[in-house]
Amino acid sequence: MSEASVPRKASVPRSGPAPGRAARPYPPLSSRLLSVWYRHYRVYVKSLVSNGLPPFLEPLIFLAGIGLGMGRYVTRMENLPYITFLATGLPITAAMFTAAFECTFGTFVRLEFEKIYDGMLAAPVTVTDLLVGEVLWAGSKGLFFSVAVTLVESAFGIVPFPLTLLVGFIGFLTGIMFACIALFVTSLVSSINHFNFFFTGFLSPMFFFSGVVFPLSNLPPVLRPVAEIFPLTHSVRAAREIATGHLTPWFLLDLACIGAFVLVAGFFGIRRLRRRLIQ
Amino acid sequence: METGERAATPDVIRAVNVRKTYEDVEAVKSLSFRVPPSTCFGLLGPNGAGKTTMLKMVYAKCRRDRQDGSSLSVFGHDPDTNELAIKAQSGVVPQEDNLDDELSVVQNLRVYARLYGMPRAAAGRRIDELLAFMELREKARVKIRELSGGMKRRLIIARALLNGPRLLILDEPTTGLDPQVRHLIWDKLRQLKGEGLTILLTTHYMEEAFQICDTVLILHKGERVMEGAPRSLLSERLEPFVLEIRAGHAVERLRRRVERDGLRTVVAGDQVQVFGRDPAVLRALAADPAVSAEAEGAAMHVRETNLEDLFLEATGSALDE
Repeated sequence: MSEASVPRKASVPRSGPAPGRAARPYPPLSSRLLSVWYRHYRVYVKSLVSNGLPPFLEPLIFLAGIGLGMGRYVTRMENLPYITFLATGLPITAAMFTAAFECTFGTFVRLEFEKIYDGMLAAPVTVTDLLVGEVLWAGSKGLFFSVAVTLVESAFGIVPFPLTLLVGFIGFLTGIMFACIALFVTSLVSSINHFNFFFTGFLSPMFFFSGVVFPLSNLPPVLRPVAEIFPLTHSVRAAREIATGHLTPWFLLDLACIGAFVLVAGFFGIRRLRRRLIQ
Repeated sequence: METGERAATPDVIRAVNVRKTYEDVEAVKSLSFRVPPSTCFGLLGPNGAGKTTMLKMVYAKCRRDRQDGSSLSVFGHDPDTNELAIKAQSGVVPQEDNLDDELSVVQNLRVYARLYGMPRAAAGRRIDELLAFMELREKARVKIRELSGGMKRRLIIARALLNGPRLLILDEPTTGLDPQVRHLIWDKLRQLKGEGLTILLTTHYMEEAFQICDTVLILHKGERVMEGAPRSLLSERLEPFVLEIRAGHAVERLRRRVERDGLRTVVAGDQVQVFGRDPAVLRALAADPAVSAEAEGAAMHVRETNLEDLFLEATGSALDE
């Protein structure tokens, strides 16, 4: 690798503007957000097999394990075959987990270890552009994961085919919501190990008590309001209403709750992370 | 904003009483300087002098203290209120390598071309050009992990040049690199300056300042110690020659002996430095048996003074970290 032997011959590239010429405008907001999104997309598709296969495999394992086993004992839940009840929640939890991972471990590594953000912030993007782009990417992963799970389920005829693809929309919103919550959590931690509390202390309980595996009506009356505080509850209920083609006024309320989580967690998450990125 | 005495070619950077405090540490204390277009301006100082902080304030990675009578203008914009306008015209080479390890050389550059809003085809041409310029063409498809430290640094410089910046900001561009790569980078920076690029850099290498800077500002504990062209700083502030004598325990005695001759001395550790205008006088002094008797072995020699002597004198020779 002797770099000394490299001949010095190349000429200076001349495509930059001469000094004194009019300043070039910076890219518009949409282009800045998209370019941040593109960075994450580029890295993600770089290992497409290891990144893209799990969302198709996971539901297979889950449906086989729970559907074949439990399904024999539990036949119906909330007027749905149990397997369908479960299958309408799983795309949403897949979206939740991928977005939460992306904006905790992923964000933390880019922030603290790889210094990716420090480099990107030298280009014409602001901290807000950077983090909103990140959230949009996590939302896109939520969309991709929820659609992947839905496709697998449709292939087995568990959910009605074209209609359920609309669940991808809720998957996108779920990804956005959990990305915002995860960014806020990331802004609080000083060590990557602290995320364990978030996953085992918050996301895992939510998986069981947000109406994914059994209906909220089975919870003791005192605990029911608690389940309403969980962000996942709203995503799952909205997704199930879409998947079963049975929309109620709850649907709009659930969307409003998702919006509220996005705004509050996103606002504080970005504000706190800005202090970390801009000294 | 700034009216009145505005020159024909406005300064690229104009800092007036810029200050930055981190919690209870004053990293930069009321610093003022100007960087005219197509020049290379170096912030020189030991570790912890406030160089990097000053640099980061220029491209809005760091916010200066808000106070009356303080201002910072880059291309006429305040970094705190118009960071995008500044960053669209600048390129930054940070101290730490922050390349995307998961992507190849070209992919790294493609991602940044997008960040600068460059159209795809133009970005491709520009990337080819810059890889040739930084002598990385054969490495285009290679993973970042396979690059040497010098190659990574060159790639980061190429990345900073993607959008054809008018201002290039470099934080210790050649720290930790071997002499060949350092000279190559200096070469390239001189070429770019010839093209009209304005350069702002930090360094603690005196040679680097001598090689490429038109003006250096020596910074110590957040304050300006001196500022000027490297060569004139040296000729104005320091005698051209120095005799260095290693004297162990006898330093003080030796110093008193030499000062009787009216020569200026500096004691640094176990060494006495005697400064003078005439090398013959210094050589005669070295030959004096009273002096050579005190020197450990024959550990003395006369040499030309350099920016490093000036730097050590300006910032104190003892470590104070």
